[in-house]
Amino acid sequence: MGGNAMQPLANITPLKSVPRAGAIEVRSVGQVFKTSTQDVVALSEVSLEVKPGRFVVIVGPSGCGKSTLLMMMAGLRQQTSGTVTINGAPILKPDPDRVGVVFQEASLFPWLTAEENVEFPLALRGVAKSERRAKAQDALRLVGLDGFGKRHPHELSGGMKQRVSIARGLVQDPPVLLMDEPFAALDEQTRMTMGDELLRIWAATGKTVVFVTHSLTEAVYLADEVVVMSPRPGRMVDHLQVPLARPRTYEMLSGDAFGRLRDRIWRHIKKSA
Amino acid sequence: MTARALRRLIVMGLIVLWEVLPRSGAIPELFLPSLSSTLLSGWNEAAEYRQALAVTLSEVAISFAFACGGGILFGAVVGSLPRPRILIMPMISSLYAVPLVILYPVFTVWFGIGPESKIAFAAIYGFLPTMLSTAAGIQTIDPQLLLAARSMGATLSQRLVRVIIPAAIPTVLSGLRVGGALVIVGVVVSEMLISSAGIGYLISRYRTILDTPHVFAGVLLVLAMAVAFNAAIKWIERRCAIWRTGTQGGQRAAREITASPLQPAT
Repeated sequence: MGGNAMQPLANITPLKSVPRAGAIEVRSVGQVFKTSTQDVVALSEVSLEVKPGRFVVIVGPSGCGKSTLLMMMAGLRQQTSGTVTINGAPILKPDPDRVGVVFQEASLFPWLTAEENVEFPLALRGVAKSERRAKAQDALRLVGLDGFGKRHPHELSGGMKQRVSIARGLVQDPPVLLMDEPFAALDEQTRMTMGDELLRIWAATGKTVVFVTHSLTEAVYLADEVVVMSPRPGRMVDHLQVPLARPRTYEMLSGDAFGRLRDRIWRHIKKSA
Repeated sequence: MTARALRRLIVMGLIVLWEVLPRSGAIPELFLPSLSSTLLSGWNEAAEYRQALAVTLSEVAISFAFACGGGILFGAVVGSLPRPRILIMPMISSLYAVPLVILYPVFTVWFGIGPESKIAFAAIYGFLPTMLSTAAGIQTIDPQLLLAARSMGATLSQRLVRVIIPAAIPTVLSGLRVGGALVIVGVVVSEMLISSAGIGYLISRYRTILDTPHVFAGVLLVLAMAVAFNAAIKWIERRCAIWRTGTQGGQRAAREITASPLQPAT
């Protein structure tokens, strides 16, 4: 992350609308993939309740269905059984009013500038150019990219691309932000910085965040609650609270409480491996 | 010295050699007439060449329109639907190995020796690379981009207009470059074979009477046409420079397609 992209906390203006957060309810959700030879159970009987404004991290080894679960919350995939509701109404298809999604590879459109990328969801709904521009500016300022709006993705670093992607996820001010391993492709230092940035943005907007990762440290560092999943079949094996104070600091990483939480998650994962 | 300056120097050197070698007698004028006598004989028959150029250009333009339109449309369908892709792509790819020019006599039987047979032949010639690269361009679109668009509520037509088309532009352009070059080849070659008009016809007619300066004047015109076409496509590509730096998959596909043995098997 280039140092010049960092904004001091005081300069941050939250999005104009009142912060609102969403409640997510996942009720005995299952997913079965039918192949020609057999049925593969990707998810089995997953139930989870996320209260408004919480930062929930789903962690687990690859193949545990954590991304599948997230895609169901995003309405990008339909479960075989069970229900997913956000603010009381079921999610049957993508609904940008209720859910913003941030993907692993920032998934920015390379032919659009940063601000055009952020405006994209608004453009899809025919929002007027001036209003779009203003909202994109706000969102870019929120993620610390004021002044980078005219750049194309290839002119931005990996961390900056993810900031743009977060801005795009927040530009319609949805109550829920879903993040699918957003920092997995970043280097260690950038990843740490982006974690802190995300917590700052979360605190400023008050969104409900569901964050998928395979990093135990990242999970404990970011979360209010950690959901641990295990593969074959994908299921929930633990749901733990993280009682660490906020704001989180680098020093906490070496503390006893942090270590105990990480060990507990690790034991679950080791068992399932 | 930059590569660009060096390239210019080489071209200049070749032009000078073209003038000097035949004049000094190192190469007989019958084999290679000097540049000045080539230009002069072209100038003396300017009306004839102008007429021939008009015929050839109109044939190229119409064939190019068919090749582009058909290639892009067909390529888009084949690229986005897996079933036709599996069915058709191997056939199209093997067509490349066939020297299509052997079919040209058949085309003259079907369409006569007028412009129609040239247009049909050149259009098919240019259609193949355009279609293949469009199909590749559509196929190599990052599925994550489509997923992201869907997560933002994009409908199917919005995904087509705002994601698929812009993402496919660089590969389509590189296909047009190859397709356009082949259209020029197709028109000129067919004019040389069986015809009564056009630059290819002039070249071939002057060749039979061993009038090399007039042959080379025709060759120069074809050369100019190809260079101008290439410059036009490059200009468009530069205007889409943002696209080109964009999708990695698309760029790779574009390179593979232009590098594959596309050279006409005439």
